[in-house]
Amino acid sequence: MSLLRVQGLFKAFGPLRAVDSVSFEVRPGEIYGLLGPNGAGKTTTISMISGLLKPDAGEVIVAGTPFWSNPQKAKRIMGVVPQELAIYEELTGRENLEFWGRMAGLSSGDAKSRATELLEALTLTDRAKDAVKTYSGGMKRRINLGCALLHKPQLLLLDEPTVGIDPQARQNILEFITKLRASGTAILYTTHYLEEAESLCQRIGIIDHGRLLAEGTLKELQDRLGGDRLFALEADLKDSSPEAWDGFLQRFRVIQKTEKQIVVSPIGTRDPSDCLKDLLGLPVRVENVTLKRPSLNDVFLQLTGRELRE
Amino acid sequence: MLRVLIAKDLRRTRRNPLPLAINILIPLVITALVGLTFGGKSDSGALGRIRFALVDEDKTILSDFLRGSANQREGGKYLDPVILERDAALREINDNKISAVLIIPTNFTRHYLSGKTNVSLELIKNPAQSIHPAVMEELLGALVTALNAISRNLQSEFPEWQEVIEGKRDYKEISNLIERAGDKFKAAKKFINPPLVVYEKDPAANSTTANKTTASTNSISATNTPKPAEKKSNPMAETFAYLLVGMAGMFLLFLASNAMTDLHRELRQRTLARFHTLHHQLGPFVAAKILFAVVVLLIASFILLICGGGILFGVAWQHAGSLALLVLGYACFAAGLMAVLVALIPDERKAGALNTIIAMGLGMAGGCLFPPRALPAFLREHITPLLPSYWFVDTARNLQSSGGNVVWVLPLIKLFILSAVLMVVASVLFRRLFRMGARV
Repeated sequence: MSLLRVQGLFKAFGPLRAVDSVSFEVRPGEIYGLLGPNGAGKTTTISMISGLLKPDAGEVIVAGTPFWSNPQKAKRIMGVVPQELAIYEELTGRENLEFWGRMAGLSSGDAKSRATELLEALTLTDRAKDAVKTYSGGMKRRINLGCALLHKPQLLLLDEPTVGIDPQARQNILEFITKLRASGTAILYTTHYLEEAESLCQRIGIIDHGRLLAEGTLKELQDRLGGDRLFALEADLKDSSPEAWDGFLQRFRVIQKTEKQIVVSPIGTRDPSDCLKDLLGLPVRVENVTLKRPSLNDVFLQLTGRELRE
Repeated sequence: MLRVLIAKDLRRTRRNPLPLAINILIPLVITALVGLTFGGKSDSGALGRIRFALVDEDKTILSDFLRGSANQREGGKYLDPVILERDAALREINDNKISAVLIIPTNFTRHYLSGKTNVSLELIKNPAQSIHPAVMEELLGALVTALNAISRNLQSEFPEWQEVIEGKRDYKEISNLIERAGDKFKAAKKFINPPLVVYEKDPAANSTTANKTTASTNSISATNTPKPAEKKSNPMAETFAYLLVGMAGMFLLFLASNAMTDLHRELRQRTLARFHTLHHQLGPFVAAKILFAVVVLLIASFILLICGGGILFGVAWQHAGSLALLVLGYACFAAGLMAVLVALIPDERKAGALNTIIAMGLGMAGGCLFPPRALPAFLREHITPLLPSYWFVDTARNLQSSGGNVVWVLPLIKLFILSAVLMVVASVLFRRLFRMGARV
C-alpha cells in the first residue's frame, strides 16, 4: 500500500498551468524522485501535498486518507523539508531542533532528547550551541533537514535539499537520506540533479512544464530509449535530414538532432560495430562518433527535446 | 504552544536586540537633549545653585546688606555668590565659570537714599548659558521691585537713614528710626501677607484644566502644602516625565510595527510555511506574534519609563499602577493596529514604510511630540481627541502632573475595546490572507 498517492493534481496561477494532472505514488521504504528543471512544478507539487497550497483539482491521499478530509492528521504523518532554509538564524542548531520538535507536538523532554539524537546523526553535536548564522551552507542544510525529522515522520517530503552546497556536504546528506529510507520512511525527493536521482531514487518521475512526462525505475526509463547504448555523431548536419537517409529511421531512433550533433539509439538488438558502420556510412562529413550508456538526461532529452541542464 | 512561540521570538530578540535598543535609546536621547537644552540638572535634581559674581563698588552698609543676603537662608539653597572685583568677575564669565555678574555701582546707596537721581544695578549675563542667567535676571527684577517699594514707602525717612549710614546719628535716634520703619511695615503687612493673588493647583481639576490662577484670600500655606501621599519630583524631572510619556507614545508604535513585521520575515524565510506544514491552523502563530509584540512593548516601556525615566532623569512616577495599566492598554492597541496593517499589506517594504508614516502621524497628531495645545486648531479640536495616542499620552501626563483625581479608567477602557476590535479585524484579515495557504 502506498503512503502517498497523488491523483490528477492540478494547479494554475492565472493562465499558467503550474501543475497539470500529475499522478504518482510513494511507498514505504522508497525514495521517489521528482526530476525536472527549475520551474517545472516540483515545489508547487510539494506545496499541494503538504497543504501549503490547495489544489484546483485532483487529490492527495496520505496513508489512505484524503488530505483535505483531515489535514491535521495527514500533517502529523509528514515531515517537510522546504527548499529554502526555513530555520531561525539567530537561534542555535539545538534551539532550532527543539523548537520545531515542540511545534510538532513533542513534549519539552522528548524534543530535547530527539534533538540530541538528530545532532548526533547529522554530525552537528560539536556546533549545537552555535547560532545557525555561523554555520556553513552544508550545516544549515543539515539542520534544515533535521527540523523536519523531530517527530519521526513516516512520509518525508524533500524539496531540493542539497541545492547550493558543496559535493562533500551533499554526499553527507544523501547518505543520511539513504539511512532514513532503510528505516522504512517513504520519501518524495525533488531535484534537478540527474546524478542524485540516478543514485538515490528507486523510482523517478520526470516533470516539465507542470506535466509528469514519464515515470519508472531508472532501467524502465532507460529502456524507453530502446536499449542500453546511445551513439552521438558529430557532423555538419545543417542541411541534412534523417528522413532523407535511406532506411536510417528503420534502424535508429533519433533522440536529439542539432546542426552539429545527432544522438540516436539503435532499434532492436544490434551489434555496436554494425551500428558504427551504418553511422560512418551516412552521406555527411562525420567528425566524431561516441558510444555511451543512456542517462536520465538522454531520457529527458528524448521527452522534451532539450537537455535538463539547459 | 503560544508560550513556546513567544519564547522563541523573545530569544531571537535577545540575540538581535538592535531594533529594540534603537527604539528605546532614541526617545531617551531625545529626552536628554531637550532636557540639556533647558540647562540640565544638579545632583539634587533641581536646576542647581546659580553661581554668580557680586562686584561691590559701593562698599556701604546697604551694599553689604545686599551682598550678605544673597546667600542667606532660602537664597543659599539656590544662589552661590562669589565676591570679586569687576575685572576678575569678567574673566570668570569669559571662562564660563559663572552664570552672571551683578555689579553694585559706586554711590549706589547715596543716590538711592537721596532719591534725586535714578540708580541702577548692573547685571552681565553669561551668553554661553541659558537658564541660570535668565533666572538671575528675574531675581534681579524682583529685587528692584522690592527696592522701589521700600523707596516709595520710606522716602521721607531716607535722609535720616543717610545720616545713620554716615555715622551722624546717635543710637537713640537710630532706634526711633527703626521703630517708625517697623510701624510702617506692620501697617503694610495685611497687604503683603497673604498676597491678594496666589497660584494654586486645583485639586478638582479635570484632565484638560489642571492648573489655573485664582484670586483668593485663603492662607497660602493651606493651598501650597503638598499632599503627603504623593512622591516628590523636581520640576526638571517633571519636564522629563512629560517628554518621556510623549516619546513612549510614539516609539511604542514603532516597536509594535517592528515586532509585527517580523511576521513578514517569517513569511519570507518560510518559517511560517514550515509551521503550516505541521499545523493546519495559522491562528496560534499570529496570536503568538501579537502577544510577543505586547510583551516587547511592555519590556520597552519598563526600560524607557522606569529605568530611563526613574534612574536617568530622576522622575518619580505618580500613580505607577494606573500608568502601568495605561501602558498595557496602549501596547495592546499598538500591537492590534500593526497586526491589521501587516495583514492588509503583505509586502514587507510597503508595510514598513506605511507603518512608519502611520506611527508618526498618530504620534504627532496625538500630542506625543508637541503639546496638543500647540497643534493647529482643526487638528486639536476635531482629530486629536479621537486618537488613541492622545488618550494614552494625555492621560498619562495628567496622571503625573495633576494627581490621582484624573479620569484614567475611561481612556483605558477605550484603549482595550479598540485593541479587541483591531485584533478581531486582524484575525479576519489573516484568515482571508491564509485561505490559500501560507505562501503569499
